[in-house]
Amino acid sequence: MAADLSLPLVAERSFWSTQRIIGVALLAAIVAFAFVTPFVFDGSPTRQSLRNVLGAPTVLEPLGYDHLGRSMLARMSAALRLSLGLAFLSVITAAVPGIALGILAAWKGGWTDRLISLVADAFLALPGLLLVLMFIAIVQDAPWALYVGISLVLWIEYFRLTRSITRALVLSPAVQASQLLGFGPLYIVRRHIWPEIAPLVLTVGAFGAASAIAAIAALSFVSVGVRPPTPELGLMMTELLPYYHEAPHALLQPVVAVFLLILSLNLIAGSNSR
Amino acid sequence: MSTLLVAEDVAVFSSHLLVHPASLTLQAGRPFTILGETGSGKSLLAQAIMGTLPRGLRAEGRVTVGDQRLDLASGQGHRALWGRTLGVLPQEPWLALDPTMRARKQVEEGYRLVRGLPAVQSRIRASADLAALGLGNAGDKLPSELSGGMAQRVAFIAARAGGARIVIADEPTKGLDVFRRDEVIALLLKEIEDGGGLLTITHDLELARQMGGDIAVVLEGQIIEQGPAADVLGAPRHDYTKRLIAADPSAWPERNAAPKRSAGVKPVLTAAGLAKTRGGQLLFENRDLTVLPGEIVGITGPSGCGKSTFGDILLDLVTPDAGTVTRAEGVARVRFQKLYQDPPAAFPQKVPIRRALNDLVRLHGLDGSRIAPLLERLRLSPGLLDRLPTQVSGGELQRFALLRVLLLDPVFLFADEPTSRLDLITQQETVELLAEVARERNCAVLIVSHDAELIRKMSDRQIAFGSPPDAAALAA
Repeated sequence: MAADLSLPLVAERSFWSTQRIIGVALLAAIVAFAFVTPFVFDGSPTRQSLRNVLGAPTVLEPLGYDHLGRSMLARMSAALRLSLGLAFLSVITAAVPGIALGILAAWKGGWTDRLISLVADAFLALPGLLLVLMFIAIVQDAPWALYVGISLVLWIEYFRLTRSITRALVLSPAVQASQLLGFGPLYIVRRHIWPEIAPLVLTVGAFGAASAIAAIAALSFVSVGVRPPTPELGLMMTELLPYYHEAPHALLQPVVAVFLLILSLNLIAGSNSR
Repeated sequence: MSTLLVAEDVAVFSSHLLVHPASLTLQAGRPFTILGETGSGKSLLAQAIMGTLPRGLRAEGRVTVGDQRLDLASGQGHRALWGRTLGVLPQEPWLALDPTMRARKQVEEGYRLVRGLPAVQSRIRASADLAALGLGNAGDKLPSELSGGMAQRVAFIAARAGGARIVIADEPTKGLDVFRRDEVIALLLKEIEDGGGLLTITHDLELARQMGGDIAVVLEGQIIEQGPAADVLGAPRHDYTKRLIAADPSAWPERNAAPKRSAGVKPVLTAAGLAKTRGGQLLFENRDLTVLPGEIVGITGPSGCGKSTFGDILLDLVTPDAGTVTRAEGVARVRFQKLYQDPPAAFPQKVPIRRALNDLVRLHGLDGSRIAPLLERLRLSPGLLDRLPTQVSGGELQRFALLRVLLLDPVFLFADEPTSRLDLITQQETVELLAEVARERNCAVLIVSHDAELIRKMSDRQIAFGSPPDAAALAA
C-alpha cells in the first residue's frame, strides 16, 4: 500500500513542457528555412546586381536586396546554415571530450582529477571571447579557428557538470552493486551515469549552442573570423549598418535571426529549471 | 487532567479522500501516539491538525485548541498558534537546525521573536533550557559540532522556546539506533511529566509501547483502532494491529536450532585479524570470522561502530588496515554478494528493473527463464518488472535486489541493514524470505542490523560490535 500511495507522486514531470515545445518548433522553423530555401529558391548569396541595390522586398525576392544588390533570402539562409552548422559542431566537439574528461576525473580522482581540473580552471580564468580572439590571432585566416576556439571555451561546462554528478554516483551503492555483480565501467557509464547527465547535457548543449551563435556573430561583427563575401549574421549586420536609413528591413533581418535562434535555444534549455 | 486539543472529523483530500474523518483528544500529561506504516496517511492527519498540509491538499473538520475553535476547511487561524501553542519537532531534527548558527542563538530566537522577550532575558532563558538538558557547554557550538543526540535536544528546545505546550513529534526516532531512540523517548516523556501535550507520529511499535498514553492505529488513511496504548497493544482487536504486533521481532517465533554441520565442511570465507580505523578512530581490531556454507551470522551494534565496514571488507569493497580475508578457492568473485540498506539506492535510478535484470543475464550468459520462478518464490508480481526502481515499494525492491543476487547463485551474501527502511510487516516478510532462500540454496548470510532482537531471532550465531559497555548490553 505504500507503493500505491506514492506512485502518482513519482516525478512524472513531462520532458515536453509548453516552453520547450515552442522552442523546438521555432528552431525547427529556422532550420527548415536555412536548409530548404536553397532547393526552392534559385539564387546565389554572392551574385551582385547593382540595379537592385537595397531593393525592397518583392514577390520574387521576399526579403529584398542588400547594399550590393545580393539576394537577402539567399544570404540569410546561407548565413543561418553557417551559424547553425558551426554551433552544432562546436557543441559536439565541446561535449564529447568534456563529458569524457568529467567522467574520467570523477572516477579516477586523485592526480588525474587534479590535473584535468587545473587545465579546466586555466581555461576558465581567461574570458571566453578573448580566448577565441587569441586563438584566431595565432592561426590566422583559418575558418576552422573560430570553431576550435569556441569549443575550447565550451567544453569546461560539460566537464564540470559531468564531474560533479559522476563523483556522487560512483560512490553510490547502486554503482557498487553493479560492480559487485560483475559489470564493467562501460556498463556503469551507460546505465548509471549517462541517464543522469543526459537531460542536463541537453540543457547545457542548448545554452552552449546559443552562446556559440552569439560568439560567432559578435566576432564577425568586429571583423574577426569570417571574411566577406561569406554571408554571416554578424558580418551582415556590420555591412548593412551604414544603410540603416535607406533599408532598415535589410539590417533588421540578421538581427531578428540571431534573436530568434538564441530565443529558441534558450526556450529549449530553460524549461528544466521550472 | 485538562484537555489541550480536540480534533473532530479531520479529513484530508487531494482529488480523492486520503484520510478518512478522524477524531482525537489530546490531554495534558498524557501522550497520544498515531501509529501506522509509511504511506498510511498518519503524517497527513497530523499536518492537517497543525495546518501545515502541503499545497494541493485540503482538509476538513474542526480543531479546538484551548478556547479557540478552528475550521480546517478555511485553512486560517493556525498561524497565530504556531510556536506559541503548537510546536513541531521535525523529522530528523538535526537537519532542521540552521547549520551556520550557534546552538544558543537558535533557542534564543524563539524567546525573542516569538515570545517577544528582551534580548538579555532571552539569552538567560535559552542558557537555562540548554543546561536543563545537559547541554550547558554546547551553547556556543555550531550544529555540525554537536553529536546527533545533542542536535536533537537542541532542536527540541528550540521547538518549545516559543512557549508551545503542545508538541507534535513527526517520526522522532526515524533513522536512530536503539540507544539514541531510548534517549529521544526519555526526552519526550519528560515533556509529558511537566504537563505538556504530546502528539507523536511513528511507525515504530516499540516507541508507541514505551510512550504509553493513548494510541490510534492508522491503516490506509483510516483510524482502525483507538484507545489506551496498553489495551490496544496488549489486546488488539483489528486484524492489522494483530499482524503488526506479531511482526515485531520480539514476537517472532524462536528459531529452530541451527542444523548440525559436519566438521569437514570447508568455510566459504575466513577473515583473520581484521582492523580498521576511520577518521582517526579505531572501529575494530583483531576481528576474526569464519563463515561456513549456508550459515546465517548476525552482527549487531550501535550505528557508527563499523559493522557495515566489516562486511564491506569481507567483500573487498574496503581495504582493511590489517588482517586478511580468504575466500573459498575456485568460487567466482560474483558469487559473493551484498544487499543494501536503502533498496532504491542500489538500483540504477532511471532504468526499468526488467532491463537491469536482463543486462545481468546477458553479461553472465545466465538462463533468463530462471527469473520467472524466482519471482514467484519471492512473491513478486511480474508486472512490477517494467517499473522504475522508484516506482515500487521498498519491500518489493529489496526482494528484487535479492532476486538479482540469487541469479548469480551466491555462496555468501552480506545483508547490510536490509530491512531498516522497511515497515514492520514488510520487514518480517523480507527477513523470513531471505533466511528461507539462503537455506534452500546453501548460501551463507552475514546480516547486519542495529535491532538485536531481529539478529537474535534470525541468525545461527551472533557477533556484537561496538564499544565494550554497548557490546555487553547487546549480547544480553
